[in-house]
Amino acid sequence: MVKLGATIAKELLLLFRDRAGLLVLFLMPAALVVVMALVQENVLKTTGEAGIRVLFIDKDGEAVGRAIHAQLDRSDAVQLVSASGAMDDESAQNSLADGEYQFSIVVPQGLTASLKERVSGQIAHAFAQDGGGRAENDAASSPRLTVYFDPLVQGAFRAAVVNALREIVLALEMEMKARAFSEAVSRQADRLLGQMPGPEPPAGAFPRIDPSWGRQRLLEVQARQASRGGFERLPSSVQQNVPAWALFGIFFIVVPMGGSLIRERQEGTLKRLMSLPISHAVLLLGKVLAYVLVCLCQFGIIVLMGIYVLPLLGTPVLEMGSAYGAILLVVASAALAATGYGILLGAVARTYEQASMFGAVSVVIAAALGGIMIPVYAMPEVMREISRFSPLAWGLNALTDLFVREGNLGSVLPEISYLLLFFAAATAVGWWRFVHREQRDL
Amino acid sequence: MAPSSYPESRDHQPPLLEARGLRKRYRKATFPALDNVDLTVHRGEILGLLGPNGAGKTTAISVMTSLLRPDEGTVFIGGLDLFKQPRRAKAAFGLVPQDIALYPRLTARENLHYFGRLCGLGGGSLQKRIEKCLQLTGLENRADQRIETFSGGMKRRANLAAGILHEPPLLFLDEPTVGIDAQSRNMILEKLALLRDQGMGMLYTTHYMEEAEVLCSQVAIIDEGRIVDRGLPRQLLEQNAECRNLGELFLRLTGKQLRD
Repeated sequence: MVKLGATIAKELLLLFRDRAGLLVLFLMPAALVVVMALVQENVLKTTGEAGIRVLFIDKDGEAVGRAIHAQLDRSDAVQLVSASGAMDDESAQNSLADGEYQFSIVVPQGLTASLKERVSGQIAHAFAQDGGGRAENDAASSPRLTVYFDPLVQGAFRAAVVNALREIVLALEMEMKARAFSEAVSRQADRLLGQMPGPEPPAGAFPRIDPSWGRQRLLEVQARQASRGGFERLPSSVQQNVPAWALFGIFFIVVPMGGSLIRERQEGTLKRLMSLPISHAVLLLGKVLAYVLVCLCQFGIIVLMGIYVLPLLGTPVLEMGSAYGAILLVVASAALAATGYGILLGAVARTYEQASMFGAVSVVIAAALGGIMIPVYAMPEVMREISRFSPLAWGLNALTDLFVREGNLGSVLPEISYLLLFFAAATAVGWWRFVHREQRDL
Repeated sequence: MAPSSYPESRDHQPPLLEARGLRKRYRKATFPALDNVDLTVHRGEILGLLGPNGAGKTTAISVMTSLLRPDEGTVFIGGLDLFKQPRRAKAAFGLVPQDIALYPRLTARENLHYFGRLCGLGGGSLQKRIEKCLQLTGLENRADQRIETFSGGMKRRANLAAGILHEPPLLFLDEPTVGIDAQSRNMILEKLALLRDQGMGMLYTTHYMEEAEVLCSQVAIIDEGRIVDRGLPRQLLEQNAECRNLGELFLRLTGKQLRD
């Protein structure tokens, strides 16, 4: 234990005196988390995954304008900002061009009156014996609700907002038509009753029809996110980026770790170490534990940034679910996988330059495949299949499961097993290569 | 196999080093790096292993310190089979490799502390040994400076300090004075003589014949993996009267062609 402790202490001391290594291990992932979380927060706004700002200009100021406003305001998806009815369309478009709002909805002046007039006309027309061409003429002159949108807003979300607005308008139309129809039916019934022989029925003899039937839904569509434990919020940009870039940082440990093995070989300290009365496994274990410790610190720092620093920059607070023990196991397994890869790299590469170049590039590729940069679901099918073999994908899947889907140790056990198997395989190959080389090259 | 066939030293203790019939051939090599090499070092002896570049000196040290496995042959350290009882045998020797086998970003004291811990030292005894080794190598005033800031001579002295930290009875030195100033070289040779006088046995490789002549109680000349001659330096010169010193003898035995 003394020898193991001495080796861990030596590795940590060497690492803390390696400024370039520290920058790679701590500053790079921290900077990436901040930059990517902020950038993605903006991307999420343009894709509708985050709350977006909608400028609402009500030039009508009557029932229809107020009803549309009320319906939109109930939606969590948009943040409605009311502008003065005096604001013109050009000003609204300028607000969008400045990036201040993603949508602007303009309710034209006199919309309520116009709609009432149209619905009365349509009902009267429906009860009339003749006339077919009038309705077509009416369609040509129907009032319009204008929606302006920022060109950066992606098509799918643009369609979703317009469809939501159409649904609100349809519900309003139905309610207005139902009210008008109910009143017309009552009027027509009274008129017909009055024309019947016999004593004249009292006014309002025909029962009034409740017009609320027009807004009552016959069929509800329920959209639910698949998750465990009823935790239904979408992952925030912070929930996506903190685990993703923290894992990226953890795997970047292969550069200093592989480099330290190569330096020991090149500087000759390895010869001295191997000539000492100590098991080689203890030396290797000391190195692995030191770097795993660094990875855990690195992850802890990035998590603290997600909780305390990123919210200061306008992002949501990082929420991690409640399975803290499972999170620790996943991170420790990922750290072991990374150190195993570092051992392999240190054994295979001949120079520090080779190790740093190949290590960095291979981790970036594994990160891209693993969904760190682009979500796996957005990849072509072939790439999705390949991504299943990336250790970063295993780590990210497990952490996303724990952070967002309320997963637990049982649900992430497969990913933990893959990471540990990767560690064992990489270490074994690295050890074999190391012994083979030492016997050949000394 | 116990080294019973080999004569024991004068004090009836097994030799500090007894290597018998060492053979080692690297893959794709045209001739063996070691070919039936026998070497013995007793207490208080310095065996100089002399040879041109590529003669097999470093391979011999690597095999005798367990860094390489020989194809054939045995190595006993103080009577312990190096390859059967490696942990115990390794505790009985120190190594001063040709490279400065220290961590450049650690100070001399930190390096010694770490290697001392790995040798099983600790607490007050480790601190005392560190101070003693630093003093012996004249580094006591630079103990808390990083190795990377040291001059070549200081690095060589620190390398020696790390090799003798755990007071091994046997010390392997692979060209310990190469590329350093005369003062550091002189100091290292003085300290090695002092350690020899205290009973430490050494196997010493060098290109400097005058060093071997002054320091070594025995020399073995190796070329193309084979020991071509061995004995006391004076005895070898007497046997080869036409050679005025070990340098001339060395050239006569190994030839004048360049070994690149």
